[in-house]
Amino acid sequence: MVELAWLIPLLPLVAAVVIAFLGKRLPGQGDRIGIAAISMAFVLSVGVLVGVMNGGTAAGSVTWAIHGDLVLRMGWEVGGIGAVMLVVVTLVSLMVHVFSLEYMKGDVRYQRYYGVLSLFTFSMLGLVLADNLLLLFIFWELVGLCSFLLIGHWYEDLDNVRAANKAFLTTRVGDVGMFIGIMLLFSQAGSFRFDEIAAAVAAGDVAGWALAAGAILLFAGAVGKSAQFPLHVWLPDAMAGPTPASALIHAATMVAAGVYLVARAFGIFEPSDAAMSVVAWIGAITALFAATIGVVMEDIKRVLAYSTISQLGFMVAALGVGGYTAAMFHLMTHAFFKALLFLASGSVIHATGTQNMHEMGGLFKKLPITGWTWLIGAGALIGIPPLSGFFSKEEILIDAYAANPAIFWVLVAAAALTAFYTTRATYLTFFGAPRDRAAYEKAHEGGMVMTYPLIILGALAAVTGFLAGPFADLVYYGHPHRAEFNTFVFGVATVVWVAGVLLALAIYKFNLVSRRRLIQAFYPIWMLLKRRYYIDDLYNLVFVRGTIGLAMVMAWIDRTIVDGIVNGVAWATRKLSGFIGEFDLGVVDGAVNGIAGAFVVGSRLFRRVQTGLFQSYALVLFLGLVAGLVILVIGG
Amino acid sequence: MDFDPTRVAFIVVSAIAVVSAFRVVTAAKIMHAALWLGLTFLMLAGVFLLMGAEFLAAAQVLIYVGAITTIILFGIMLSEAAEVRGRGAAPLPVRRDDASLFRRIVLPALAVLAFVGVMVVVYSQVSWPDAPAGLGGDTVRMIGRALFTDFIIPFELAAVLLLIALIGAIVIAVRDNGRREQG
Amino acid sequence: MSIPLSYPLMLAAALFGIGLYGALSQRNAIRILMGIELMLNAVNINLVAFAYYLEGAAAAGQVFALFIMTVSAAEVALALAIILLLAKREKHIDIEQVNLLRW
Repeated sequence: MVELAWLIPLLPLVAAVVIAFLGKRLPGQGDRIGIAAISMAFVLSVGVLVGVMNGGTAAGSVTWAIHGDLVLRMGWEVGGIGAVMLVVVTLVSLMVHVFSLEYMKGDVRYQRYYGVLSLFTFSMLGLVLADNLLLLFIFWELVGLCSFLLIGHWYEDLDNVRAANKAFLTTRVGDVGMFIGIMLLFSQAGSFRFDEIAAAVAAGDVAGWALAAGAILLFAGAVGKSAQFPLHVWLPDAMAGPTPASALIHAATMVAAGVYLVARAFGIFEPSDAAMSVVAWIGAITALFAATIGVVMEDIKRVLAYSTISQLGFMVAALGVGGYTAAMFHLMTHAFFKALLFLASGSVIHATGTQNMHEMGGLFKKLPITGWTWLIGAGALIGIPPLSGFFSKEEILIDAYAANPAIFWVLVAAAALTAFYTTRATYLTFFGAPRDRAAYEKAHEGGMVMTYPLIILGALAAVTGFLAGPFADLVYYGHPHRAEFNTFVFGVATVVWVAGVLLALAIYKFNLVSRRRLIQAFYPIWMLLKRRYYIDDLYNLVFVRGTIGLAMVMAWIDRTIVDGIVNGVAWATRKLSGFIGEFDLGVVDGAVNGIAGAFVVGSRLFRRVQTGLFQSYALVLFLGLVAGLVILVIGG
Repeated sequence: MDFDPTRVAFIVVSAIAVVSAFRVVTAAKIMHAALWLGLTFLMLAGVFLLMGAEFLAAAQVLIYVGAITTIILFGIMLSEAAEVRGRGAAPLPVRRDDASLFRRIVLPALAVLAFVGVMVVVYSQVSWPDAPAGLGGDTVRMIGRALFTDFIIPFELAAVLLLIALIGAIVIAVRDNGRREQG
Repeated sequence: MSIPLSYPLMLAAALFGIGLYGALSQRNAIRILMGIELMLNAVNINLVAFAYYLEGAAAAGQVFALFIMTVSAAEVALALAIILLLAKREKHIDIEQVNLLRW
């Protein structure tokens, strides 16, 4: 069964192609094809996981390019971590596919939605199976593309288009670093394969500076994809896409790809102390920083988005302190409970037609199934025992405490805030008095296809924590390691989550403190959070405005200088002969004519801007080639 | 230096090729230019023959002399009746404008001279093998074998490319006709 | 009984230069196309020459030349289709007046 792992990504790919080309003629515009393919992929993944648990591994490759002695192979490989990821991705994807049947019913681009969803699943599965950095990078970009397509799903609205562009460009910033890192590691280790690079590192073939630089550059890619500080700005805006797609891409799977990358390339990170501390601190800062913003958001999806950033920060920080198993375990539990929360929020949005929590309230009575499953997901997110999030977060905290107490306390603070904002969102949405009567009246639970995924994911979010033992035997770096229970850490974690929940209840349920009073007292901080630390504004000012300005400068240079050289040389020749002639006629006449001529030439210069003639471009291109040749001849 | 018929033949064929190529660029009438182009292609087939590439020489005659020159002639007749009939024909229809003259003639000429100069320098610096490695007879069999073993994928792709080009050319030409009739 | 390798290389350089000059200096689209064809042929001469002179390159060089012929045939067909379209729409094929690349 394990040998068939390469089939798993191909099934959704076939579905994507079929939906794209034949979707219009198929019943349900091809949604069933996608669900059938992903179901088969899920069954296969479970088979692969069982095989891997019995000690099986498999790999395969094809020769892609030969250059001298260097043979590039593109291959796949499935081990413990890969098998778990396969099951997580296919399972969440299946739930999202089913949930979307009702959520997206009657959408203008239903067919496109299902096609992209299948394409995304294919890319994500390929990313998981890739055994080398180059192939991983290809799939890495493919999932980015699918994310772009789904964020901009309703592209009639300019804001959605902006959000899609923002996501694409922001992650691209990290990807450039990642690509440089891949090439740096390749030049040092002579291979793209994870195991060969790790072996080269272990053998000391990679210089210390290159190892640290390569690892940090790779991490830059992870920072972009996993929305870590300072490249986190795209994820909250990415909520412009359909909610089920957000659940799949921007909560459970794609954003976790950055964490997966660091884990997959852990043999590159682990030997470098510099890289490890960068990873740990970026993760810890992100965890705390995003949690603070989550406290003031009003849009239910944005709360979840910042929560996702924060939880990804936990995973990254865990990797940075060496808690490989803990990070991956949290990735798995987070995938389930965050997908659950997103789908539940989708159910709420579907029922009420609004995303603003201040327009909800009291929905628990109207949406009991959604409410209960949300409670399970929220409990897991807060880390209430015995829900799954408790176990994974506890493992991360224990590892952090053992490795670096400073990181530990930052994460504890983030955990307290997590409890606070989760309770706040839960209370505002489901309890209290309904604030928008009309929305409340018409709200009703979705059909079977919406509730069943919620129930399944709810069950998973509740019980996966008990799998920590088998998980630690399957997914580890070096040798199996499972965080030992630590009474002090357990005590601290319990105190902070209880405190967070109680504080939120005190403010929002019992109104012990007036919210208005609180805002007035902490107005500067409140404003800072509300404006998301002004980071988006800063980026807008520096990069967006800056780029536009730079483009204007470049356009001006292109117009005046590049064309100016071509036209100017001719002008100079003519001018010179003309001027000599005019000088003969008399200095006065010459001066007058000369000034007039200068105006004529100046206007010609600006009139003939950017000729649009391909021959001019070809000429410049060719002159560059000749210049290069001359340098080669002289230099060599 | 011994009298070497192959070398003399090569020099003669090359000289004709260069002169006719030059006429392609400078001929006053575009029809003449196209015919000079055909002559150049034919001479290059001779060059291939002298360098032991019989199959390529045949392909050169078939594809370039036979097909491409003919298509270009058709293109000329279909696209610019005026110049074919000899009215308004100018070898280098350059505007009487210094900048244009400079850009169209002086700069390209300088670029080309620089390029050829550099290449001549490069070629004269390298020590090339004097004698050919020898092709060992049956080049057609050799090419055929290479095409269907080492180069099978490029070969199939070339076939697809030709098909796409065929369809594309038809689509481009026909679509406009349709639009014209509607509009 | 042999030709020095530098002969065909020089011939190729000369033809390439002439073709390039044609492609850069002409205003008539068909003349530009002819210049490009000359350049492609010059490249073929190089490939055939190296196939002839270098050990073990015989098959690869000639096959590559064959591919260039294929591609240039496709290119001419498409280019002429575009030129005909241009001639029909604009009543001229003067590249100087075609400035769709202008911004």
